[in-house]
Amino acid sequence: MKRRALVIGCLALGACAGVLGLSRSTPPSFPHRAHATAGVTCTRCHTGVEATPAALHIPDDAACTACHTKPHDARPCLTCHAAPGAIAQLTEAREHLVFDHKQHGPVTRGDCMRCHVGIAEGDDQLRPPMATCFRCHDKARDARQCDTCHKNLEDTRLLPQSHLAHDGDWMREHGTRAAASGDLCQSCHQERFCADCHGKTAPALPAQRRFANPFTASVHRAGFTSRHSLEARSEPGACTTCHAPDRCIACHMSRGIAGDGRRSPHPAGWVGLSVSDNEHGRQARRDPAACASCHDGAGQSLCVGCHKVGGVGGNPHPAGWSSKLPLTAMPCRMCHPIGSRP
Amino acid sequence: MTAARLYRLIAFALIVVARAEASPLQLRADALATTASPAGLLTLEADGSLDGRLSAEAVVWMGSADDSRPDVLVMVLRAHTADGRASARAGRFVASLGALRPVQIDGAAGRLRLPLQLDVEGFAGVPVLPGLTTARTWNWIAGGRLARRIGDGGSIGVAYTQQREDGRLASEELGVDAGLALGRRDDLGAKLAYDLANPGIAEVALTASHRSKTLRTELYLSYRAASHLLPATSLFTVLGDVPAERAGAIATWRAAPRLDVIADVGARRVDRDVAPDVALRARLRLDDRGASAVTGELRRDGVGDDMWTGARCAARISLPRSFALATELELVRPDDDRGRGTLWPWALAALGWDDGTWQAALAVEASASPEDRRRVDVLGQLGRRWGAR
Repeated sequence: MKRRALVIGCLALGACAGVLGLSRSTPPSFPHRAHATAGVTCTRCHTGVEATPAALHIPDDAACTACHTKPHDARPCLTCHAAPGAIAQLTEAREHLVFDHKQHGPVTRGDCMRCHVGIAEGDDQLRPPMATCFRCHDKARDARQCDTCHKNLEDTRLLPQSHLAHDGDWMREHGTRAAASGDLCQSCHQERFCADCHGKTAPALPAQRRFANPFTASVHRAGFTSRHSLEARSEPGACTTCHAPDRCIACHMSRGIAGDGRRSPHPAGWVGLSVSDNEHGRQARRDPAACASCHDGAGQSLCVGCHKVGGVGGNPHPAGWSSKLPLTAMPCRMCHPIGSRP
Repeated sequence: MTAARLYRLIAFALIVVARAEASPLQLRADALATTASPAGLLTLEADGSLDGRLSAEAVVWMGSADDSRPDVLVMVLRAHTADGRASARAGRFVASLGALRPVQIDGAAGRLRLPLQLDVEGFAGVPVLPGLTTARTWNWIAGGRLARRIGDGGSIGVAYTQQREDGRLASEELGVDAGLALGRRDDLGAKLAYDLANPGIAEVALTASHRSKTLRTELYLSYRAASHLLPATSLFTVLGDVPAERAGAIATWRAAPRLDVIADVGARRVDRDVAPDVALRARLRLDDRGASAVTGELRRDGVGDDMWTGARCAARISLPRSFALATELELVRPDDDRGRGTLWPWALAALGWDDGTWQAALAVEASASPEDRRRVDVLGQLGRRWGAR
């Protein structure tokens, strides 16, 4: 039985290899390392790299046949002897990078491997990582001036390789990362990117406006309208991160769900004379923002009626409670009228 | 200077900047229509820059639903020195200082890079209220942050902010933040916000990650005391610290060149209730660029009586002639339905078209929720962009 399952699993994996990207039918990357170790200099194939900085300097077939005098196939050499997409990526890099080999040649004294270090490891892509650039261009890094080297960075959709990599649950993580690196975020994202979600005047969230792309990151994705009450109660205070406390009642009133003053959404036993009948106290401590979403403003008088100094509701403050606000300030003076004891 | 005058100035700057033709004005217009609210939405976006030192950006919108008045989302003028050591912006924007919560303001902000890798930044302005014609009272917010940069993208900083409503203290917070790249594979991020008005920790978040070639693991922790996140003028701030806590680990595994598997295993605690928080996701790209992809997700979430189990799948298939087909399905089952339906399904099917200049999409959304036993909505979108991109 186990052997059969193993066979079926292997067959399924084989059948899906192409979809998963496991198939080796695609050509391997160009063997740069083999050429370098054979003593072929870079400029022997990449001719004119220093003279024509704007060109891609990808060798043509003539460069190959200078040594490989008997080609085994009539097709262009790089059809098979280059990683798929490599030329397209190089073209894109050329379009979005401000770079000139002509300026760098004298600085590196013609040593290409000073920047293209990946050749020693046989990397698929020999484009140097940004850290290599920063070895000399540290001022651009310090000033967070991405446009020193990048053109239309937003359109390239490049993501940082290490720190601030947008992997995992980036929606949850981004706030923590952005706290210390907000200026770095601004090097790619414009003002509207933050305001799209955090702006109080945002008309609709990005996922609502780009509904045709289900991979748009959104905190309120899919059937959030159904789930929102469960999610709000499970993470008290999370809604307050973006929304004003009165957001709930404003929306519920506009939809006719609550706030009409005729019915209470609270279950039986919410308010009572005995401790066991006072679920509202526990829930209020657990998520005061939920209470504020309906009872803030004039609705606070409902609480004050019982919990004011000398009232039947008792002291709502927990042990060790302190505040720097004077008793004459709001909201203290609501329960502590002038002359009453603290 | 009134807000309206400020906006006129920025709009004028946008035009001047665009005419300089150093970077042509880029415009975008989007119209969204749906049978659900908002019934109609028109968004206009513009940005342009002059020599890279002066730039402006604006996003304005108007809606046709009863509660959607015309408004400004962003209207900001930015400037920085040639060496990038000093920068400033003015107008309407989202201001964010380290560990403190972002706030949308009408005001100004600036940043100065000092020797010894030190940064000073600050902002001041009026917190934004929805509606251009909403009456403004004497509310203001101001804050500052001192930070020291560490490495390529890291820093450690301290921030302070104070907000007043009608002259009364609405919030006063102190924040500490840190972000570090520990070599090429390890990252650390942390923030802490402390409520000074009603002394106590308002929010803590910690994240640490490690990357290898095919696996990224992350540990996270968060602590949030809702009573410290409300304005100090609210009566509900006096109820003390009952934190909501969450901790867990996420593993993102590139199982195959086009297949990512993400496991998120954690727990959350609210008051005396503790519950597991688990999600398993997989995403398969159907081509090397990821233009077509499918994803599936299973989730167990919530705490106490608010726990739920959900499944979601989505697909986007790229079609010839710049068309794309997208669909998304979700099924949620609450543990305690409270008589609001045992299953809450939601589905959307969309056909989109994008030729780089024009964008159009049409979708049908169907759901059954606690609010509506059955609901079907139609959504349509049309967009166009002008200028180089």
